[in-house]
Amino acid sequence: MVRLRTLPAVCAGIPALVAVSFCGAVFGAAVLGFTPAFWQGGPLTLAEAAALRDQGEVARLVEGGDDPNREYELRPGVLAIERATPLEAAVAARRAEIVNLLVHEGATLNERGWRRLHCLAMETGAGDVVRAVDELRPAGAPLLSCPE
Amino acid sequence: MGSLAYGLLQVPLQVTDTLQKYVDAAHSPGVWTSFTSEIGTTDFRPLWVAEIKLLFDLSYGHLHIAYKAFHIALLVAAFGLFVAALPIETGVDVAASLFALSVLVGSNTFTGLVKEATPVNVYLPIVVLVLLGMQLSRRPHTWWVDAVAMLALIAACLTLESGVLVWVALVAGRIAGGRGVSDRALLAITVVTVVYLAVRLALLPLDTQNTSGYLAERLEPDQIRERFGAGLSRFNVYTVFASISSVLFSQPRDGTLVVMRAWQAGDIPPRMWISIASSLITTTLIGIAAWRLWRAAPVATEPHRDHMRADFIVFAAVLAASAVASFAYAKDVIMSTAGTCYALVAFWAVRDQLIRVRRIGAAVALAALLLAASSLWAARVIGVHHVLRTQAFAFHNDWATVRDHMPSDPVGRRLVTALRADALSRPVVNPWFIPRWADRVFDIDYF
Repeated sequence: MVRLRTLPAVCAGIPALVAVSFCGAVFGAAVLGFTPAFWQGGPLTLAEAAALRDQGEVARLVEGGDDPNREYELRPGVLAIERATPLEAAVAARRAEIVNLLVHEGATLNERGWRRLHCLAMETGAGDVVRAVDELRPAGAPLLSCPE
Repeated sequence: MGSLAYGLLQVPLQVTDTLQKYVDAAHSPGVWTSFTSEIGTTDFRPLWVAEIKLLFDLSYGHLHIAYKAFHIALLVAAFGLFVAALPIETGVDVAASLFALSVLVGSNTFTGLVKEATPVNVYLPIVVLVLLGMQLSRRPHTWWVDAVAMLALIAACLTLESGVLVWVALVAGRIAGGRGVSDRALLAITVVTVVYLAVRLALLPLDTQNTSGYLAERLEPDQIRERFGAGLSRFNVYTVFASISSVLFSQPRDGTLVVMRAWQAGDIPPRMWISIASSLITTTLIGIAAWRLWRAAPVATEPHRDHMRADFIVFAAVLAASAVASFAYAKDVIMSTAGTCYALVAFWAVRDQLIRVRRIGAAVALAALLLAASSLWAARVIGVHHVLRTQAFAFHNDWATVRDHMPSDPVGRRLVTALRADALSRPVVNPWFIPRWADRVFDIDYF
């Protein structure tokens, strides 16, 4: 009888033990002072954070001294471009809320920069992004048509 | 448990529905003032508000550590009481208890216990106090058991309306034969419960309508009133049964049949199959165990039949009471105490199957079934950690936008600025670094 019970008992317990082992590995790494692999991300540039809707990281980086108006590198797979300003990255990723956050955090646009961004927003076809960019239109900037 | 505690520490403090709680705690002159400030309000959770203030004062500015430590302590208490409720004496008991623990953590009703932190999770104390009530029922009677039972009920009711479940557990425990709490004490506890319910339902205004699911839809309060009218309706009946079903079958979620919605969209992700299949197998095993408990002859060498019967009765009572309490709107976390009791009876169901095995064919079939169920529950356990990781990212982002909603007074502004800086400084994992399949396998269904 005991042997008959052993197989189903092991089958009931082993997967749960695997889950416990996973939990133990996470906890063990943390106790030893490592960030468990499960909880590891990677450092982001400001433009990457903007493209990846990481509002918290955008705010942290800007408030930590990163310039919201310069270009940053983007790792492959984030966007189809290799370098961009945070605003360009946010627009290319169709993230209106990140555009607003960046402006709140001090990103600025001159007339030429705004026109470029406006055309990029029009290219994405996202209405909320176009509206967010158009709200940044510098006073007196003419609304020209974008090149096809 | 340790990994969940680590995960909780990684999640920044919650912002939504919570920011004002921190500011109120900062303004309050003391714990008693915070306690009394809740009397007469629609929420009526004085002990919860007092806890928030007490932890605020004890933290000396380290709010993240203080609130998370309390959350972890509650989690430890819940796990401790859960394990203490299982009679682990043999290898079969160990296997069944491992299975039950994965049911406890992997259940959709458990997720809310770690995901929500407002800033003290309001449902976790109820789980702890109900488990405590069950323990008290089983103990030999002494005067202090009566006293602790009464205190548990009062603490639970002053934390949340679901605190009445402590009374439900105590009464169900008594019906099942538990003699730990005396009849006199149980009568006194019943009187206190009736007074509480009378005050809560009759004297205090109830703000019960909330967003809730209905079949494959998600309805706003106005839509619910417009479609079903005011007062009791078939929507309330649906919500009660949906709440029961969410514990037994992991569907609907917060009242919404997300699997139906996914099917309509043409893509049912693996996580839905995992949750439904694991629950279906486990509920079937529980059903068989319940049927045997009342109809079939007991196993000759089974010394825990009364204990098993008591847990089944308490589970049925808590499940029914929690579902009735959800009549206004369905929310999985409201069913978290029932989910905990579900895991307890899952222990008995698996144990019962194991001790009744007589033939080799049946043993192999049972092994296959338990392997499938246990593997699916194990995936759900890992999914809870994934949910915490996702939650950490969401809360981190919420703090970024808090700058637009700063309190106007200097104390509140200073506090929120410090909390924001602390939250933003905590590294979280951007979902971009997480494999796409993880969302399909582990995620829960957000609305």
